[in-house]
Amino acid sequence: MVNGRHMSIATRLTWINMLVTSAALLLACAGFWTYDYVTFRNGCIRSLSIQSQIVASNSASALLFDDPRSAENTLAALRVSTNIMGARIFTASGQPFAGYSRSHLQNSSLVYTVREPGAEQHWFKDGRLILSRKITFQGKFIGTAVICSDLSQINARLRAYMLICAIILLACLGAALLLSSFARGSIAAPIVKLAGTARKIARERDYTVRIEPVSATEEISDLLESFREMLVQIQARDEELLQAHNELEARVEERTAQLRSANQGLEAFSYSVSHDLRAPLRQISGFANLLTDDYSAQLDTGARRYLGLIQKGAANMGRLIDDLINLGRIGRQELMRKPTNLNELAEITLRDLRAEIEARAIDVRLAPLPLVECDPGLIKQVFANLLANAVKYTRYQERPVIEVGMVEQGGEPAIFVRDNGAGFDQKYEHKLFGVFQRLHRAEDFEGTGVGLATVRRIVENHGGRIWAKGETGKGAAFFFTLRPPARGQQNQPAMKGTIIQ
Amino acid sequence: MKIKSSKSKRSAIRRAFLLIATAVALVSIPPLASVAIGGMNEYDVKAAYLANLGRFVIWPTKGKNDPAPSFPICILGVDPFGRTLDRAVDGQQIDGGPVIARRISMPEQAAGCRVLFIGESESDSLDAALAALSHVPILTVSDMPRFIERGGMVGFVVEDSRVRFQVNLDAVKAAGFALSSQLIKLATLVKTNGASGASGG
Repeated sequence: MVNGRHMSIATRLTWINMLVTSAALLLACAGFWTYDYVTFRNGCIRSLSIQSQIVASNSASALLFDDPRSAENTLAALRVSTNIMGARIFTASGQPFAGYSRSHLQNSSLVYTVREPGAEQHWFKDGRLILSRKITFQGKFIGTAVICSDLSQINARLRAYMLICAIILLACLGAALLLSSFARGSIAAPIVKLAGTARKIARERDYTVRIEPVSATEEISDLLESFREMLVQIQARDEELLQAHNELEARVEERTAQLRSANQGLEAFSYSVSHDLRAPLRQISGFANLLTDDYSAQLDTGARRYLGLIQKGAANMGRLIDDLINLGRIGRQELMRKPTNLNELAEITLRDLRAEIEARAIDVRLAPLPLVECDPGLIKQVFANLLANAVKYTRYQERPVIEVGMVEQGGEPAIFVRDNGAGFDQKYEHKLFGVFQRLHRAEDFEGTGVGLATVRRIVENHGGRIWAKGETGKGAAFFFTLRPPARGQQNQPAMKGTIIQ
Repeated sequence: MKIKSSKSKRSAIRRAFLLIATAVALVSIPPLASVAIGGMNEYDVKAAYLANLGRFVIWPTKGKNDPAPSFPICILGVDPFGRTLDRAVDGQQIDGGPVIARRISMPEQAAGCRVLFIGESESDSLDAALAALSHVPILTVSDMPRFIERGGMVGFVVEDSRVRFQVNLDAVKAAGFALSSQLIKLATLVKTNGASGASGG
């Protein structure tokens, strides 16, 4: 209740009502009280002045004939005024002449002083009103009367006023509470209902909810109407979005199906073409071999050279066809995943390249690789391709170095094969993994242009990705992962789950 | 005269005072001893009272219309006041006229007086004197015993070492004027309609 931020609008309205009511009432009461206090005080002074006048005129003869008892009798008549605490008469020379006091106890505490003999004045002292008036007889100053009145009447009146104010205040607060409950009905209730609906919508995301119309003030019904319209618009937009989404989904599915069939057609075509190309190629190669074997002596040098070129071309074409068939097969083949020791795979592959590695004294550094769930046959092809490339492109390097290892790339463990060979220009990286895309002249580095495309397909079939970093003349490094990166790359445990240590 | 010191002046006053005191002691033969009241001589008080009594009398309207050249206070018989009364009335005004003290020896001389103090010396011839004054608006005052019983209007008495007075309203009324209630309430005895009772106190 104390914290205004968490007050509901209804409570706040009630509080405002109460505060305004109390403030107005208190101000009014204070005004009335002040007016009454001043009026009553003046009344007291006037009343005391009249009484002192009576005392003065009735005690003139007593003063003149030196009869204090008579003067005291006159003063004793003041007994009927309960607020008068005491009175005294002084002679013209200021000597006490006669006195009266309501209570003998108070007599001693009362201080009657004539400020200026003969002056007619009143003053307040210690909660008492003291009035002094000169006594004259036939224009002659003969003494002074001093009357002291307590202000208990004023105080009693003040207390009564406070009591009345308190009662009125309580009554008005009660009335304000009652009235504000009506205000709650007409102002707060629709807003409370609106807030409740808005909260429900925010929580359940159900935009079909509607606020039933209530009789409310213009602004609030405007607000409710706007809210309702907003809900209608949101719902309409939601439906449009859903429709668009569904359409898009359908279109994507359609396109995907079209692409898949086109792709399958292409692959089938490519496979069958490659396959069908083999038979005539075998004839070319076979008859070229027969010619070399059987008619070599009858041919001159030029013819033999041409025949060699035919044989070489046919062999190249055969490799190309094999690679293409392989590439096509990988596209269709199901993965045979099983726990695989990548180090073993790398070592087997290196064994196949041992002759050239030893001949050229290539420094091969094989770091410990993890145990991974993958298709070992295909991953062996990856290593074979990458290592063969590394060996090939370090051909003109005086101290060739090939490194195989693992790095953590943004929370992603990646296997890499790095060499210090010819390298490549980083800006052509995207071309590296395309079919028949070559960055080097065939005269420098032979190859079919299918190897890295095959590697990429294998890696991507595993759900991983492959990328390369290089610099012309300074070597190249190929990185690949064998699993899609875990969502939110910082998720290390999930990553380790894919790597069997 | 100017060379005379204040010492000689003071001794002159003392001599005059002694003279007056001796005279007073000689003329006032006490049944009532002279009492001192509040440091004042009894006759000082009485003189002051006498000077003020006229203020509490409601005089006949006839006298009001007449221009009052003066307000004489007369003393019949032996004067017990001496200069005291003259000092008491000095500068005083009643009914618009200056108050003056006048000594007379015969009641017939009282015509024109407003207040008449009858000395104790006239006690024997009082009845005749009062009879002579009975229908004249003169306030008769005396300090002789039983003055109001004998027909006087205001009689001074000493009670509890204080000078008080008694009033005879019948006599006042018969003379054609009235006394202020302020005065009557101070009287220790008020005689009216033949009865008399204590008042005030």
